[in-house]
Amino acid sequence: MPFACIFVPNFSVEALLRAEPELRLLAMAVLEGKAPLQKVLAVNERARQAGIETGMAKLQVETCPEIALRACSLLQESAAHAALLDCAQSFSPRVEDAASDTLLLDLAGLEPLLGPVPKIAREIARSASDLGLESNVAVASNPDTALLAARGFSGITVIAEGKEAEQLGSLPVEVMSGNATAGENERDAAQILETLRRWGVRNLRALAALPEIALSERLGQTGVRLQQLARGTVSRNLVPVEPPLIFEEAVELEYPLVLLEPLAFLLGRLLEQLCDRLAARALATQELRLKLELENGYRRDDDDMPLAYEDPRPRTIIFQRTLRLPVPLLDSRTFLKLLQLDLKTHPPGAPIIKIHLAAEPVRPRAAQNGLFLPPSPQPEKLEITLAKIMGIVGEDKVGSLQLLDTHRPEGFCMQRFAPDKPFSPQRHPSATLRASSGTEKNHSHCSAQLSSMSRGEFNADPSADLVTALRIFRPPGRVSVTLRNGVPSFIDCAKHPAARGDVLWAAGPWRSSGDWWEKEGWARDEWDIAVQQNAAIAFYRLVRDLLSGRWFLEGEYD
Amino acid sequence: MYVELHSRSAFSFLEGASLPEHLIETCAHLGMPAMTLLDRDGVYGAPRFHMAAKKAGIEAHIGAEITCDFSPQSHRDTEKNGHGSARIDTDQFNKSGINNSESLELCGEFRLPVLVSSRIGYQNLCRLITKTKLRANKGEGAGLEHELQEHAAGLICLTGGDDGPLAMALAEGGIERALYWVTRLTEIFGRENVYVELQRHFHREQEARNRAAIEIARSLRLPLLATNDVSYATAREREICDVFTALRNHCTLAAAGRLLARNSECYLKSPQEMQELFADLPEAIANTSELSSRLEFTLKDLGYQFPKYPVPDGESMMSFLRERTREGFQQRYGRAASDLENRARSQIEKELKLIEKLRLAGYFLIVWDLVRFCREQNILVQGRGSAANSAVCYSLGITAVDPISMELLFERFLSEERGEWPDIDLDLPSGDQRERVIQYLYKRYGERGAAMTANVITYRSRMAGREMGKALGFDPETLDKVSAAVSTWEYRDENETFDHRFRDAGLDLNHPRLRKYFELCVAVQDLPRHLGQHSGGMVICQGQLDSVVPLEPASMPGRVVVQWDKEDCNDLGIIKVDLLGLGMMAAIEDSLQLIRNDYHEEVDLAHLPADDPAVYSTLQKADTIGMFQIESRAQMSCLPRLRPKRFYDIVVQVAIIRPGPIVGQMVNPYLQRRQGREPVSYPHPSLEPVLKRTLGVPLFQEQLLKIAMVAANFSGGQAEELRRAMGFKRSQARMKEIEAKLRAGMEQNGISREGQEQIVLAITSFALYGFPESHAASFALIAYASAYLKCHYLAAFTAALLNNQPMGFYRPATLVKDAQRHGLKVLPIDVMKSEWNCTLELVVGRTSLAVGQDKFALRLGLRYVRGLRQEAAQALARERDRAAFISLGDLAHRVPELRKDELNTLAEIGALNFINSPQTLRASSDTEKNKIISHGFARIRTDQFEKSGINDSVPLCLCGEDKLVLHRRDALWQVERAVRQSGPLLDPLPEPDSKSPLRPMNHEERLIADFRGTGMTVGPHPMAYHRARMDSLGIRKASELSCIANGRGIRIAGCVIARQRPGTAKGFVFLSLEDETGVANAIITPDLFQKNRLLLSSEQFLMIEGILQNQDNVISVKAQNVLALAITHAETSSHDFY
Repeated sequence: MPFACIFVPNFSVEALLRAEPELRLLAMAVLEGKAPLQKVLAVNERARQAGIETGMAKLQVETCPEIALRACSLLQESAAHAALLDCAQSFSPRVEDAASDTLLLDLAGLEPLLGPVPKIAREIARSASDLGLESNVAVASNPDTALLAARGFSGITVIAEGKEAEQLGSLPVEVMSGNATAGENERDAAQILETLRRWGVRNLRALAALPEIALSERLGQTGVRLQQLARGTVSRNLVPVEPPLIFEEAVELEYPLVLLEPLAFLLGRLLEQLCDRLAARALATQELRLKLELENGYRRDDDDMPLAYEDPRPRTIIFQRTLRLPVPLLDSRTFLKLLQLDLKTHPPGAPIIKIHLAAEPVRPRAAQNGLFLPPSPQPEKLEITLAKIMGIVGEDKVGSLQLLDTHRPEGFCMQRFAPDKPFSPQRHPSATLRASSGTEKNHSHCSAQLSSMSRGEFNADPSADLVTALRIFRPPGRVSVTLRNGVPSFIDCAKHPAARGDVLWAAGPWRSSGDWWEKEGWARDEWDIAVQQNAAIAFYRLVRDLLSGRWFLEGEYD
Repeated sequence: MYVELHSRSAFSFLEGASLPEHLIETCAHLGMPAMTLLDRDGVYGAPRFHMAAKKAGIEAHIGAEITCDFSPQSHRDTEKNGHGSARIDTDQFNKSGINNSESLELCGEFRLPVLVSSRIGYQNLCRLITKTKLRANKGEGAGLEHELQEHAAGLICLTGGDDGPLAMALAEGGIERALYWVTRLTEIFGRENVYVELQRHFHREQEARNRAAIEIARSLRLPLLATNDVSYATAREREICDVFTALRNHCTLAAAGRLLARNSECYLKSPQEMQELFADLPEAIANTSELSSRLEFTLKDLGYQFPKYPVPDGESMMSFLRERTREGFQQRYGRAASDLENRARSQIEKELKLIEKLRLAGYFLIVWDLVRFCREQNILVQGRGSAANSAVCYSLGITAVDPISMELLFERFLSEERGEWPDIDLDLPSGDQRERVIQYLYKRYGERGAAMTANVITYRSRMAGREMGKALGFDPETLDKVSAAVSTWEYRDENETFDHRFRDAGLDLNHPRLRKYFELCVAVQDLPRHLGQHSGGMVICQGQLDSVVPLEPASMPGRVVVQWDKEDCNDLGIIKVDLLGLGMMAAIEDSLQLIRNDYHEEVDLAHLPADDPAVYSTLQKADTIGMFQIESRAQMSCLPRLRPKRFYDIVVQVAIIRPGPIVGQMVNPYLQRRQGREPVSYPHPSLEPVLKRTLGVPLFQEQLLKIAMVAANFSGGQAEELRRAMGFKRSQARMKEIEAKLRAGMEQNGISREGQEQIVLAITSFALYGFPESHAASFALIAYASAYLKCHYLAAFTAALLNNQPMGFYRPATLVKDAQRHGLKVLPIDVMKSEWNCTLELVVGRTSLAVGQDKFALRLGLRYVRGLRQEAAQALARERDRAAFISLGDLAHRVPELRKDELNTLAEIGALNFINSPQTLRASSDTEKNKIISHGFARIRTDQFEKSGINDSVPLCLCGEDKLVLHRRDALWQVERAVRQSGPLLDPLPEPDSKSPLRPMNHEERLIADFRGTGMTVGPHPMAYHRARMDSLGIRKASELSCIANGRGIRIAGCVIARQRPGTAKGFVFLSLEDETGVANAIITPDLFQKNRLLLSSEQFLMIEGILQNQDNVISVKAQNVLALAITHAETSSHDFY
């Protein structure tokens, strides 16, 4: 019963070369890490010849002329892995996914169909090469021998039954490191390899030759198992991979689409198909990926979702959007509405020639709301509403606020809004209240003190007197300010005509600055001022940006 | 006028961002007449603040921010500990109708600023801080209420800033609690000694607090006081302050959030700025001057007294000292020539008179007592430094150099004019012996009567690089890279800017974050990071030391340390004794012990033959590896030219290879004159008496001072200033000032321009570091002793050196190879024989000894097994002494302390090879023998085993039939089984066949195992295995170089044992290459270094092509080409001085 193993050496490089095959002729290095501290993760042969080694800094590598530098891409690697799986599954239905760079195939019964084993091995290698992956292929009577041979020997290797130990013998014991099929704890195996190093056991032949009982007394069953591997006598069943749950639909158009309406029609059909498939497997989805191939024009991506790959065919432009949903849904109409809203905000910008739609399957939501609890908006409706708002104000301006721990005024970030989990007794309204008052404290505290200060007295308990609120002007209005002895004496704000007049009273400056180690350092002075208006006195917060010297009216106190 | 009364320096570790001197400088610049330093829980920065202020003409007030904890819990804890509760009676407060209950207590710690108004106040402050510090762990501790009450006299209290009691009370309980707390402070310190503090940093919350504070001050009729809570001198330093905050809180700047300062307002503001800020409260400004005028205390009024030495009734300290000196005189000079004796007598009389006049008898007696203790305890001790100039010190046995016969200058040690305490440094063996002496001092003068001086750890490039990177959030790998980029070779090219170095490390300084990182690294240089303990400085005080300076616990248990370093102590006139641990003293002491135990001979260091020919012959050949102070490559290259013939030559040799003489271009002229190639001349005839002994070339610090006095009319005081400028705290600016004075003086004396240049160069170069003659003489004695021991007791000396590593210039591997080349047999580590330390074994069968050959062999100790814990090794030795191990299983079973990894390492280095050795068999009983044989071990012939110098030289295939031995892989094979416990059921079963199927290690594998497991090999040198190849490449051995003519092109190769790029060598790099025959030296030009930087910095085996230079038997190869050699994969290491 022959087994084959496909192993792609230097996988991260190969994954990238698959997308850009022209780089095979150049020295190429794969980088990992964030700028400015990237370093080399892997290199191709030409780069190695040029003296580039893993671990070098980007800056050092850049001194080498004509080197192509690429960032390590997990997406490319997973695409390469998927392609490798496709390749393997095109030969055998029984494929074991041993590692991202290693696959095992059961070749039983393939000889009548595909020819003798060596021919199959060559075909597998050629097929992988066609997919852009240069690999080693080994065939042996058991999967582990095939695996070790593929890792140890380059090109095609066919090991005849009974010759396993002989042929594997010259391989270094390190080929067994990280052997997922050995089934042992990685740490144990690493320790054993260290022991073997101390023993001077360098290759599999030496390991195979050790007395078995004495070895088991010393290294236990793990050692015996490694020895069996070295002898090529391990017999085991493959653990075939399940066909992956891929829910993807596509349609190629006879003529390019330029309007959204017919696109919506087609999308609706695709969505229905997808939802039917998902429903049949009792699944829902939380992520929809739309990929449109455009006739011409410019490439458009998600801001946060880089392209998995660029179609190598010339003149094909890929446009893709991803909808991520807060909860698993299975409603094609909702999906269609969301896609329509999204495409309205982000039009493809060119005629569409092909549509791909994929859904990421997840388990459906199983929730029961409390009988006596106030109803919350349905997630589907809420999502559509949020999508509508995003269409108007922009994606990064919708969500829930999260205050940052910083002195920077209004230092916050946006978190994607997600409806609360079903109400539980632990989350009592008072708890929510406490939490929210905690976050607001910083803002309200100043105002409270301001109000008490204006009365000329100190309040014993500031939190008990939170009455003054600041209504922030968004964006703050530019204001011209006249100073007297360094204190504002007159203001005039074009955007808020009411805020014009003599300053009756001013407190400040309240000075703050920070983030000096970042490009976005800031420094500002705040003033609390009282301005005479027609019938009453208005209180404002006046801000001076100390870096630009500009004045702004930031808000009004109630 | 405004006076800043609340500021902290960088000595509030990781809180303040400016040095005290910088604060004073800024204060002077702003025109402020006085300033107060309130560092956190201490007066760490006070001496430097005081000295800087004295110089700037500013009044320096002292105080501290005391961490206090008045919480009920702390009161209860105190009561439990037996301290009576001293809760104050807040009658006045109760009368005001406010409830005095526990609910008004503060929950946590707060900082109470206190200012010292009188000496009593200062003493109270020191005692208070000492009390809080000594009962807590290092860096912790808080004052309790009753302690404050007890020590309140002479202190003035402020209500504090953000961490003060007022702010805390307001935050916790509003104005009612704040009022209660201020009232409590008035009860503790007295109404007239409490000031309500106002600060304005442009915060809303702070302003609200100010309003409350004003209300409280008015209701209690307390004075208001404006301060700026200064944390740095200028606003720019806020960045450092923020970084410190992040470091203190163990987070990055980005994650520190609101822990960081809100703005940059805590800088030292001018009186005008402060007056404008407090324009609405002029009394708060006026009160600063008023309070400043109340602060009468400064550090010049310290009240320090050196302890009195207890003498018998009827004796005074002076008479007692005279008597001890007389006794010593008899011993030292009793048998000397009458001329010397007379000179000594009159010198001693002169010294004693001065000692009496300066009332220093107690000090000398205390040091004498210390030396006596050492002698009684058989601890080697020797005075060094300027004390060696004193005949009294020599007579008392404090020093070992005779100052009379060596004509040393007593005034350098003690002079009436200088008004400074004498400085006696004692060299002791490092380690336990020195600790015993320190503990003796503690015991004798009480816990609060003696303490170690501090050592302020300041930011240097590596630490700055690491910590700044941490604050900026660099990951560990990047941290390694950037911190390596900021720390460099000692020498820097002109073109070698930080930019280059960052670029070399793969970092781009154009990136804003890296640029900021670099700026921070530069800015933080020299700021204190934390307080360490000085290695040997001890201060002693009459009465309570804790009323002079606060004491705190050191990290080392049982040690107490003062808050000032030795320079500060010196500046404030506190007398100290330096107990310095010297590795070589420990090695010499251990050598003497080994000689006593094994050779059964007694070597008396005080009576070593003064002119041992073997010693001088060795020195002249520069065969000095392992010898004290004269073993470095630079020393070795000087020795054949200087050719020492008498003790004074060694004194010169020790002193001459120092940056001062080297940069001052004194080395070559001296050597030329010594060899008679250049006439002896003097810059000016008046200098002949000063420079005669050193052939007209100034080599010692004393000579430089004397030159300044003779040639430039310097007074004693000016000479002293010059000495200080040349001292530890070197200052370019001070040297410039002095240079001007020197030139003026010399001009006046008519010294030629050329002579002037020569003298100025000599003196300014000495600022780089040079030795006083007395110090050189003390070191020369130790150097001579080490040379003597090496020449005559090589085994003992080498064992002692190896047992006291790390020390010296060379790695243990080099010491061992050197000893082997000198005929010492070095035996490998063997669990059947080795102790923790290296020991001596009589060489069996060695009847006739070659010249210089030792009858003892050196057995390497288990301390050289990497990863082997001392307790496990000692357990092994204990168990072995009880009964020999009969098998590896027996060893594993009887010494359960040994871990698997330790056994593996022992096996790998061959230390288990001899468990079944013939000796063991001989020692074992018949039953045991049978048991061993039944285990089926391999057998080898005894003679082969005996002959093998290295363990594992006998592969299994060569085994004979009559004796048993393992090879390393055998042992490794058995260890794996031995450490797998079979369980009690299988215990009675005999061990199965343990015959190992593993092949023995080859020489390369053994080398790798030796270097990995012990850092050395006792077998052949790695180069020896490749000699045939080396010969075919035309590579010459190190031992052959002396026979090759000067100027010939040759090739040398070897293992790099030392790399140096000294700051004084203009970018030249010096490499020492070791092969099996000796050490060859190579000189790399800066250009060649630049071209082969990586190769020269990292490769362990090099081949160097170049021109042989042989000048006066100083042999080196001036490299023209460098190549890496593939010799071994063993991890050899070199001693690199970058």
